Amino acid sequence: MSKVDARGLACPAPVLATKAAIESEHPERMEVLVDNDPSRENVARFLASQGYTSAVEQKGEVYTITATRGPDAPQTEPVAEAPEGAPTKIMVMVASDCMGTGDDILGAKLMINFIKTLKEMGDELWRLVFVNSGVKLTIDGAGTLADIQDLEATGLTILVCGTCLDHFNLLERKQVGQTTNMLDIVTAMQLADKVINI
Amino acid sequence: MPPGDLDKALCGLEFPTDANVLVGLSKADDAGVYRISDELALIQTVDFFTPIVDDPYWFGQIAAANALSDVYAMGGEPKTAMNLVGFPLKKMDLSILRQVIQGGIDKVREAGAVLLGGHSVEDDELKYGLSVTGFVHPARILAKHGLKAGDRLVLTKPLGTGIVNTAIKGNLASDEVTRRIAVLMATLNRTAAEVMQKYPVHACTDITGFGLIGHLAEMLEGAECGLKIVVENLPVIDAALEFSAMGMVPGGAHKNRSFREHMVDLGEGIDPSMRDILYDPQTSGGLCIAVAADSARALVDHLQSEGVEYATIFGEVVESPAGRIQVA
Repeated sequence: MSKVDARGLACPAPVLATKAAIESEHPERMEVLVDNDPSRENVARFLASQGYTSAVEQKGEVYTITATRGPDAPQTEPVAEAPEGAPTKIMVMVASDCMGTGDDILGAKLMINFIKTLKEMGDELWRLVFVNSGVKLTIDGAGTLADIQDLEATGLTILVCGTCLDHFNLLERKQVGQTTNMLDIVTAMQLADKVINI
Repeated sequence: MPPGDLDKALCGLEFPTDANVLVGLSKADDAGVYRISDELALIQTVDFFTPIVDDPYWFGQIAAANALSDVYAMGGEPKTAMNLVGFPLKKMDLSILRQVIQGGIDKVREAGAVLLGGHSVEDDELKYGLSVTGFVHPARILAKHGLKAGDRLVLTKPLGTGIVNTAIKGNLASDEVTRRIAVLMATLNRTAAEVMQKYPVHACTDITGFGLIGHLAEMLEGAECGLKIVVENLPVIDAALEFSAMGMVPGGAHKNRSFREHMVDLGEGIDPSMRDILYDPQTSGGLCIAVAADSARALVDHLQSEGVEYATIFGEVVESPAGRIQVA
């Protein structure tokens, strides 16, 4: 069991100490000591956000927070080779709001159809990433929005390039997916079994 | 310093004053105002702090925007500024100071003001800010006080900078969020202030270290009315809610809460992560404007059309319960 003694520390230090312990030790169980109410609350919130369930015991001015890793906790073991029978991880990267070159009106129609049909990949579809003018497919009013939202509702991770949204001044209009950065995109490429560029 | 502590230190001290002091220390306000003539009054304010972002140029811009903001919140126009610098000469290269001051210069220039000089001391850590002097017509001063029942409350920048800065320190924020928040903090309240001048505004302040509730509480001081705010109408930085739910809340938010909580009626269903946004200390936050109800929509539309994109109506002034902030 990992122990964090955050007594005498003010917010956000106890949360940061807890975060460091989780990242370095990935404990099944951990105990965090704090001596003020805001820290108790914030550490409990942080643990919950990391998939831990926690209980608090108070003795005098000291709170002991005991936490147990739940089934929802993020993967902490090194990423292993995909076991036999696991679905192939396909990453689809959409770098344009238009499919193919030649005619943009046709391209826009094809793109709507492409997004609509993507679900046929089933659980092999692992990441859907939008970069450059592709981010325009994720904003309000886009013909593709409803289908992308449906994909997200199935649990698919959808990443939308923040730099690109910013460039087109669309940060506030994005309606689906997580805003992401290049590091996440590169990491996803590395982890994927197959990357399809559109 | 946290609210409360400063009051304790100053309580009972007598400050020299004269008949030309239009806004002084008798009631909390953003800046002091001194009458020069019937047409002209001087606004004076000073603010400095330690770095809140890693990049020295951005830090300089943010510190300057924050200091200039008090003049805007009083309804005035910044005219002159002086640098205030604390610098750890033995630990840091002078090129860093140069970038900080370049940031300050650029913001002062953008504000249409001039830099006249400054003062620097050797310090354990870097500190930067400005002392700013502005002009205002004595009849057009916008104090914190002056709320009228029925007024609508408008906020011009989203809340959550304290929480996001905490998450940045905890290495949780993406580069994109980090950059966006730096841009927000470095944005002058100039446009918001200029637009607001054209509307029947009764009171104004800028949201900074005491958090939204702390500054609303100051607006209520001595007023015979109360406030009603609706959290879902508040502009909030998206990432701030997420980080708040992870407990990335700065100590200042808790201090602000324990100081003001007794004035607040928190509606059911408002979860702790949203509640903490209301108390989150802001750096270079937006203007909080109390405007006549029938002009509120026009003001917000005008602000948005001038690029103050986050401007929204988030609450209203009510007759009773007086002195209370109802949060729904």
